[in-house]
Amino acid sequence: MLITGVGTAIRGVAGPADLLRPAVQEGSPDPTATLTGRGLRYKDRATKLALCAGRDALADAGLLLDPGLTVPGESVGVVVSSNYGNLDTVCDTVSAIAGQDYTATSPMSLPGTASNVTASWVAISYGLRGVNLTLCDGANSGLDAVSWASVMIQARRVRHMLVIGVEPANPVVDALVGPTFDGAAALVLESAETARERGARAMARLGRHARRESHARAVGDVLEEPVDLWCRPDTTPGHPVESAREHDLTALLGPASGALGVVQCVAAASWLETSDGGTVLASTHGVDAASAVVLTGAGR
Amino acid sequence: MPGVAICGAGAVASVGSSLGEMFEALCAGRSGMGRPNGFDLAKYRTGLSFEIDDRPERGRDVPLRSTKWLEHVIEVAAAEAELTDLRDVPILIGTTLRELRSVELRWRDGIAFDLEELHFGPALRRRFGAVRVSTVANACAASLYALALGSDLIEAGAADTVIVAGVDNISESTYGLLDRCYPEAPDALRPFDKARKGMLQGEGAAAVVLRRAETSRHGWVRSVAVNCDAHHPSAPDAKSIAIAMRQAHARAGVVPADIDLMMLHGTGTPLNDEAEARSVGDVFGGTDPSPWMTAIKSMTGHTAGASGLHSLLVAVESMRTGKVPPVVGVREVMEEMAEVRLVRDEAISADLRLAQINAFGFGGLNAVAVVERPC
Repeated sequence: MLITGVGTAIRGVAGPADLLRPAVQEGSPDPTATLTGRGLRYKDRATKLALCAGRDALADAGLLLDPGLTVPGESVGVVVSSNYGNLDTVCDTVSAIAGQDYTATSPMSLPGTASNVTASWVAISYGLRGVNLTLCDGANSGLDAVSWASVMIQARRVRHMLVIGVEPANPVVDALVGPTFDGAAALVLESAETARERGARAMARLGRHARRESHARAVGDVLEEPVDLWCRPDTTPGHPVESAREHDLTALLGPASGALGVVQCVAAASWLETSDGGTVLASTHGVDAASAVVLTGAGR
Repeated sequence: MPGVAICGAGAVASVGSSLGEMFEALCAGRSGMGRPNGFDLAKYRTGLSFEIDDRPERGRDVPLRSTKWLEHVIEVAAAEAELTDLRDVPILIGTTLRELRSVELRWRDGIAFDLEELHFGPALRRRFGAVRVSTVANACAASLYALALGSDLIEAGAADTVIVAGVDNISESTYGLLDRCYPEAPDALRPFDKARKGMLQGEGAAAVVLRRAETSRHGWVRSVAVNCDAHHPSAPDAKSIAIAMRQAHARAGVVPADIDLMMLHGTGTPLNDEAEARSVGDVFGGTDPSPWMTAIKSMTGHTAGASGLHSLLVAVESMRTGKVPPVVGVREVMEEMAEVRLVRDEAISADLRLAQINAFGFGGLNAVAVVERPC
C-alpha cells in the first residue's frame, strides 16, 4: 500500500515538509482563508481545516485537477479521524436551548450534531462517492484511520482512500480539553498496482499496523528492522524506541488527539521521499491501547 | 464452505431489554413511545421519544448510558457465542453520537464526565480487556457500516472472530434541532405514510458476534455494500441508494427476486422515505410479488447508530420464526409504496430465507446488507 499524496492545513506550516522542522512559523495566515464557495459560514472549523488538507492531498496525488476528480467518484473513499470535531456545534446548541428554547437554535446546525459531518462535507465538496468513514478512537484514532483505509482498499471497496486527521481549536474544546492542536493533515493511500497503472508518484510504503494493550507490544509487533525516524506519541511511553532520530510532533503543534497519527504519517511520507528510503515508526498511546505503524521508502 | 456466521446476538431498546422481548413486542405491535424523562420539556415543542428510561432519578439525566447498554449487549452476544476472551477480538461500534450526551451534561450542568470516555475504547478495555476497539461514527448507517468493516476483516483472514455493535442515546442538541427543523411536531413516527411529519428519536444498542464458520446460530452475512451520495449533508439521493442495493445483491450473488424480506430504513421523514421508496421501486420494480417489507421505527423510534443492527436482528428473528412484525400507525400509505407488500398493523407469517436490510444516514451514507437464515 502506497502513500501517493499529502496535504496539511496547519497555521505556520506551509506544507508537509515543514512538519519536520523544529518550530512553526509565527504570524502565518489561517490556512482556511484559502477556501472559497457558498455555505462556508455553516461549516465548523474542523470541516474547513479538513477541506483544505483533503483538497491539497488529492491534488498532490494527481486525483484532483481543476475542475474536479480525475478518476470516477465511486473509486475514492474517505476516512476522517477526529475526537473533538463537532463538540462546538453540540455544546453551542445546548447552550442556546438552555438560554431560551429550541427556537434559538440554527436549523443549519443539525447535520453538525452527528460526528460524521466533516467526512460528509469532504465527500460532497470533492465528489467522493466510495466508502465514507469517521473514526473517533481517542489517541489512536489517526493510526486506526490509516489502517482502516488500507483494509478498505484490500477489500476492493475502493481504489483510492483519502485519510484526514483533524482537530479544531475553539472555545468549547479549550474549556473541555484545554489547549489543543488546530489543524488537519491528509494523505492519499492506494495499492502499488493502482499507483503504477495511473503513473502516480509513490512517496512511501505503508507497512504493518498493530493495536495492542501496551506501547511496547504494539511497537514490538510491527518492527523488524532498525528505525531511522520515530514519530513518537504525545506521552512518554515506559518503553522508549531506539532510533536514529526522534520527532515529537506534539511539541511542534500541541496535543493533536485524533489527528496525531495522520500528521505522523504525512511527516513520515515527506521525510521518506526526501531521504531516499529508510524506516519510520509512528506510534500513539491512549488510555485504552497503543498503536504503531511502520512506513518505508517507496522504492523498496 | 465457511462463511461469515452470526454466532451471538444481544439487543436492548425501548420495547424490550433483550432481543426476544424486542421481537415479541414488535410482532404484537407494541410501541416504546413515551415522554422523554431526561430533560426539561418546557424547552421543546415535541414531547415524544422512544427512551430506555433507566435513570436513577426521574428527570435527572446521568452520563454514560450508551456505554452501559453497549457493555450489556456485547456481554450477552459474547456469552451466546461462548466467547470468553475478548482481549484480541476486534470490536467495531457504530454510533451517531458517541457519548456526546455526556459532554452536554458536563458542558451545561457541570456533571462530571471524562472526555476520554467520549469513545467506547476505555470502557471496553476496563470491562473486557479489549484493545482492538473502533468507534465508527457513521451516523444512522453506522452499525451496518461497522458490519461491512467486520465482514471485511473476516473475509480477508485478518480475524476469525469480530464483534460488531451499534449504540445511541438521545442528545438534547439533536432533539432540539429536529424540533427546530420540522414544520410541526410529529405525533407518532409513521414510516411511508402520506402525511408523515418526521422522525422521533429512540435509544438502544445491539451487538453480534461474527465468525468464519461452517455453521451458524443466527444466520449468515452474505454481503454488506456501503457508499456515499456526495450530494447533500441531510437530503438523501435515491440513485445512490439504488446503487448500494444493487452492489449488495451483486456481492451476495443474488437478484432482487431472491430477497424474501426487506427491512426498510423507514424513518418517517418526508425526504428519507421518498428516496427509499424510489430506490426500492427502481431496483425491485420488476419483481412480482415484491419481497415482504417492514420497518421497526414506528415502535422503536429511530435508534440511530444502533438502528441498522436492530433491523438486522429483527430480520434474523423473522427468518427463524417465520413471523414478520408490522409497521404500525400508517393511515394512508404513500403512492410509491402502494404496489409493494408492506406489512401493516398485524404481523404476518411467511417462509423466509433471505433478507435485505437498509440503513441510511446523514451525509448521504448508505449501507445495505443481505443476510441468510441458517440452513
